Amino acid sequence: MVYVLKRLGQGLLTVFLTVSVVFILIRLAPGDPAVAYAGPLATSAELAKVRTQFGLDQPVLVQYGTFLKELVTGNLGTSYSFQAPALQVVLERLPFTLTLAFASILLAALVSIPLGVWMARRTDTKKELGVNVVSIAGQSMPDFWIGILLLSLFAIVFPILPASGFATWAGLILPTVTIAILQVALISRLVRREMATNFASPYLTIARSRGVSERTLTWKYAMGNSAIPVFTALGTRFAAMLNGVVVVEVVFGWPGVGSLIVRALSTRDYPLIQATVLVTAVLAVAVQLLVDLAYPLLDPRVRLGKANAS
Amino acid sequence: MTTPGVTLTPGPSGPVTPSARASALDRKRVKYSEAARRRSASRLKLWIGAVCALVVIVPIVIAQLLPLADPNAQDLGDRLGAPLVAGHLFGTDQLGRDLLSRVLHGGQVSLAIGVLAVVVSGLIGVVLGSIAGFYGRWADVIISRLLEAQLSLPLLMMLLLVVALFGPSIPVITFVIAIAQWPEVARLTRSLVLVEREKPYVAAARTLGLHRMLILLRHVVPNVFKQASLVILLLLAQAVLLESALSFLGAGPQRPFATWGSIISDGQDYITTAWWMVTVPGLFIVLLVVGVNLLGDGLRDRPRRTKGLVALLKGTKR
Repeated sequence: MVYVLKRLGQGLLTVFLTVSVVFILIRLAPGDPAVAYAGPLATSAELAKVRTQFGLDQPVLVQYGTFLKELVTGNLGTSYSFQAPALQVVLERLPFTLTLAFASILLAALVSIPLGVWMARRTDTKKELGVNVVSIAGQSMPDFWIGILLLSLFAIVFPILPASGFATWAGLILPTVTIAILQVALISRLVRREMATNFASPYLTIARSRGVSERTLTWKYAMGNSAIPVFTALGTRFAAMLNGVVVVEVVFGWPGVGSLIVRALSTRDYPLIQATVLVTAVLAVAVQLLVDLAYPLLDPRVRLGKANAS
Repeated sequence: MTTPGVTLTPGPSGPVTPSARASALDRKRVKYSEAARRRSASRLKLWIGAVCALVVIVPIVIAQLLPLADPNAQDLGDRLGAPLVAGHLFGTDQLGRDLLSRVLHGGQVSLAIGVLAVVVSGLIGVVLGSIAGFYGRWADVIISRLLEAQLSLPLLMMLLLVVALFGPSIPVITFVIAIAQWPEVARLTRSLVLVEREKPYVAAARTLGLHRMLILLRHVVPNVFKQASLVILLLLAQAVLLESALSFLGAGPQRPFATWGSIISDGQDYITTAWWMVTVPGLFIVLLVVGVNLLGDGLRDRPRRTKGLVALLKGTKR
């Protein structure tokens, strides 16, 4: 329980730091949001009115205080361009991003775990080197580039899949595959390393000598011990993967948080940017927290209290 | 968790006996053959990596010396020209600009940003990492927490925000990429310093009355520096990728030359008529990053000392 609280506190601290950094950055930057909101032709009286309306005429510390107070009550201000509560605008888009993110990580796990096991069984053979080089290539391609290539191949040259948007479930395929490619490259290498270590360890030799089948050896013995590092990696990759989601959403015109923030940035919609950064930060922290708390399910040796000590 | 198409049990025909199977074999022999294979694999990676990276880097570096059209010279009569036609090796873009020239000049900017960013992030990372590792206590707590916090966040949105706020100039983008990358260096340096500071020479230096900071600067940092610097190539690859993603999203440098990401972004609108506008700059990125990654991988896997290998060879003779 103490462990849970401690992890929760750490997560909240991360979120708080993020929010503060965003706030400071926005106030430090050149460029006047009132001008951006009212348009270049606004008179100074109109500008003053806009500033009062959004509290931009207050001292920065007061603005920060108000911001934090509102934050606790879940009020992140009104989006300038949508004329709606910023949090609501972001939360409306969030399901799309989540769908994409979870579909990608699921696909990545389904492909990369068997692939990693396959590689671990053939460590330091020519085949394995080949796959290894391919996986390096996989993690070296810009995701937006893969996206455009897949899009032109499967939506334009062979028009079998929708090019953009989320009209049908088929629209999910291309963006998911695009994001998953990088993750497969990274996770399969990790699985390979973990499994290879386990394959080489004495307990497996003993189990094998006692006649345990190869299948049980691989999936129950070795995988059981590789699961935790791999699972942790899936959790930590989630934050990095959200980066890819942003870019890929733009390529495919996916109506998620990523395309939202690119739009919010071009209109200097500060409340919306704050809300987006905050929501995604909370999301990433929450996923990581869940992964941490799920350890004991995977490994009965880990008791939450003990993990606390390390 | 079983998936069709992946054979888990090694077939009777294949030479794919897993290393652990070889319990009947002499252990040293197994080790030797693995080491030898790894050695040749790492050499192969180094070669392929060097070739890939140089194929991209050399033309970029000498772009000014090559007989190329001005990357910004427009020729509206020759828009979206196909590759190998009318004297343009890689064709022209939507304003009739020579694509090869644009890619090479843009590459200079991308590469310069990448190298600078790695230097800056390396400096920040080594300084903070060694402070955290050497001094421990609250310095370690603060730096480690900061590091963890940053690693658990989807950082790209913050980076986009910074670029949007402060303008897409080369210094801003370099700084942003450096900020995104310092945790990797810091984490590595910290773990290396943690090991290093327990070594007897540090205690000896302290007994001799050397100031702690001097020990860190003069003895510990130089000792870990070589190992920490191996990560530089991998960081460079990431920096190039990050820069291309930023410029794809419209947050890349516009002057003096558009970089690869923004050329691809332009090309996306003409994907049906001019495939080369997306493909060519993308291939440059892929070749460069694959090359650099392979080099980094090969260097890391390379057996540390030949001395160890000789000892192994002797050991197998028996």
